[in-house]
Amino acid sequence: MPKKIIRVNMSNLEAKYEELPEKYAVLGGRGMTSTIVADEVDPMCHPLGPSAKVVFAPGLVTGTKAPSCGRLSVGGKSPLTGGIKEANVGTNFAHALAKLQIAAIIVEGQVKGDDYYLLKVNKDGAQFSKANQWAGKGLYGVYKQILSEFGAKVHVCGVGIAAELGGAMSGIAFSDPEGLPSRYAGRGGLGAVMASRGLKFIVVDDTDAPGVQIANQEVFSAGIKKLVKALADHDVTKPGGALSSYGTAVLVNIINEAGGLPQRNFSAGSDDRSAGVSGETKAEEIQKRGGVRPHACNTGCVIRCSEVWTNPKGKDPVGVLEYESVWALGPNSGIYNLDDVGELNRACNDLGVDTIEAGDTLAVAMEGGLVNFGDGKGALKLLEEMRKKSPLGRIIANGTEFTGKALGVWRIPTVKGQGLPAYDPRAIKGIGVTYATTPMGADHTAGYAIATEIMGVGGQADPRDVKKSDLSRNLQLATAAVDASGYCLFIAFAVLDIPEGLEGVVESINGVYGTSLTVADVAPIGQSIIDVERKFNKAAGFTSLDDRLPEFLRTEPVPPTNEVFGVSDEELDKVWGS
Amino acid sequence: MPIKVKIFGDLKERLPYQASNIGVPLIVNLESKGIERVSSIIDELSFKESEISHIFVNHKYSGFTKKVYEGDIVALFPKNMALLYKWYYPKEEDD
Repeated sequence: MPKKIIRVNMSNLEAKYEELPEKYAVLGGRGMTSTIVADEVDPMCHPLGPSAKVVFAPGLVTGTKAPSCGRLSVGGKSPLTGGIKEANVGTNFAHALAKLQIAAIIVEGQVKGDDYYLLKVNKDGAQFSKANQWAGKGLYGVYKQILSEFGAKVHVCGVGIAAELGGAMSGIAFSDPEGLPSRYAGRGGLGAVMASRGLKFIVVDDTDAPGVQIANQEVFSAGIKKLVKALADHDVTKPGGALSSYGTAVLVNIINEAGGLPQRNFSAGSDDRSAGVSGETKAEEIQKRGGVRPHACNTGCVIRCSEVWTNPKGKDPVGVLEYESVWALGPNSGIYNLDDVGELNRACNDLGVDTIEAGDTLAVAMEGGLVNFGDGKGALKLLEEMRKKSPLGRIIANGTEFTGKALGVWRIPTVKGQGLPAYDPRAIKGIGVTYATTPMGADHTAGYAIATEIMGVGGQADPRDVKKSDLSRNLQLATAAVDASGYCLFIAFAVLDIPEGLEGVVESINGVYGTSLTVADVAPIGQSIIDVERKFNKAAGFTSLDDRLPEFLRTEPVPPTNEVFGVSDEELDKVWGS
Repeated sequence: MPIKVKIFGDLKERLPYQASNIGVPLIVNLESKGIERVSSIIDELSFKESEISHIFVNHKYSGFTKKVYEGDIVALFPKNMALLYKWYYPKEEDD
């Protein structure tokens, strides 16, 4: 059975199944969402207006027995950046769509009136039902009710109160294996794009789904065997390795030592108190409390970097506390207490907001004097203003840049309107180049992946000799390709050091599609995706002057390294030759 | 002035000191006499180079041959904390 696209028109509440166009046949994930957005969305449209769309697409190998491949891309025009956006999430929702042989869901149009709807998708089709009873409510309680009504085995995605406000920090929440709204396609405000269509939830039931068709089982099996071995052998990805032992927050102490863990709205790059929210501390606390660690965010993940954080009594599970979330809601806000961080993360999940944007926003609000740095309870009250739908809550819901301007703060850590993630670009300059030049706005995941020497696109075996523009470009290309594959970006650690692992990735894709790709094709695939995204952004009004970091990062030295960003505009413009 | 060595993760368990909270580094102050490079510190603490993932000297990502001086701060991470987007971190070494 060929794969389909579901076109969901919210203006007349129609969900039509369309044949997958030939030109989309070997697209997946970010490749699919960015191509559809570029083909169908006016770059000059308002992201919350009638002609905006939001697109969901599982990766190329998602839904198969390949390891760690449960990734889903969500795309649209971002209300935060004004440019194209792809937000990526690991979730069983992705597997379920792929097993139903759905290559993409395109949500377009707008409901007339104030009603919100839920779309249920299963092997028999797609049906709407009203969802007004869940508007204005926190997502933890709502997901519990939805799973109770539709059955514990369904997979849910939805948007929260922040999205109802049209907030540019709103994300799209996907249910985790425990049914909690903790897996986020967080960045860029796509939650508001979905809510402004009048669509509040999508429920996917993959009972009796046909499954993913494999064109060449032998090639596929040989590929995933190589990849599984690489993941099992590598220090970062193996059982008992960094990710399964401590989760992504293992980076807290490491980046703190690198002088690149932003503190108190990027006013310092290191603080010994950060150890209080480190991955090691968190893992020990989870063990004491009776949470879960390690944990797979989706079926078939062998890396298992996820976890279930709880309150001190081991109750009221929050879900995972990722490195970037811990940093944003912790040290960047001057907060060094894991329980404060956990409750802030819970509030973000419940309200439906991106934790990185929320943490950057809180820190800017603290600099603007609304509460003091380090005041965890005060920070929670600020987030709760969104639940009240108060004027202040509406300001906060629109993110870092909007809040900073409202408060007269000039140190606003954003690029293209999106808040910076957890690495200070003054101490770690290469990642600053990626923040500046990715079409996504400041985004760490846009440029960490497979090293240049393996890709064979940089021609340099030693990263010390690679120009930062070359390094960032090659990493962005590789990342775009991985985002299209459906594999988790963390496989990159293993396939960097173990070349057979990367061969396995490519062979697994060939096995599913009957293609003859080689490792040399990976970079051109990434380039084609970024070309589409940059073309969209150019038509939306972006120029090379948008590929810059804010002034304070270029002029204010950050202790303890006392570095400024220091990468020239000319070097930044070399990334894309603009 | 000694060299301040910050030891992270389960490397701490290898040393005869009172263990702190696992997330907080153990601080060992080593007299600089006889210590020329990071590799000398590894020897002094009876670690093996194969047990170390990341080294930072004064917040700079460094290798075993990096020279160290009194007053320096050296951070050592074990293999099971080997997470770093290392392409962004040029490693400092000395001849």
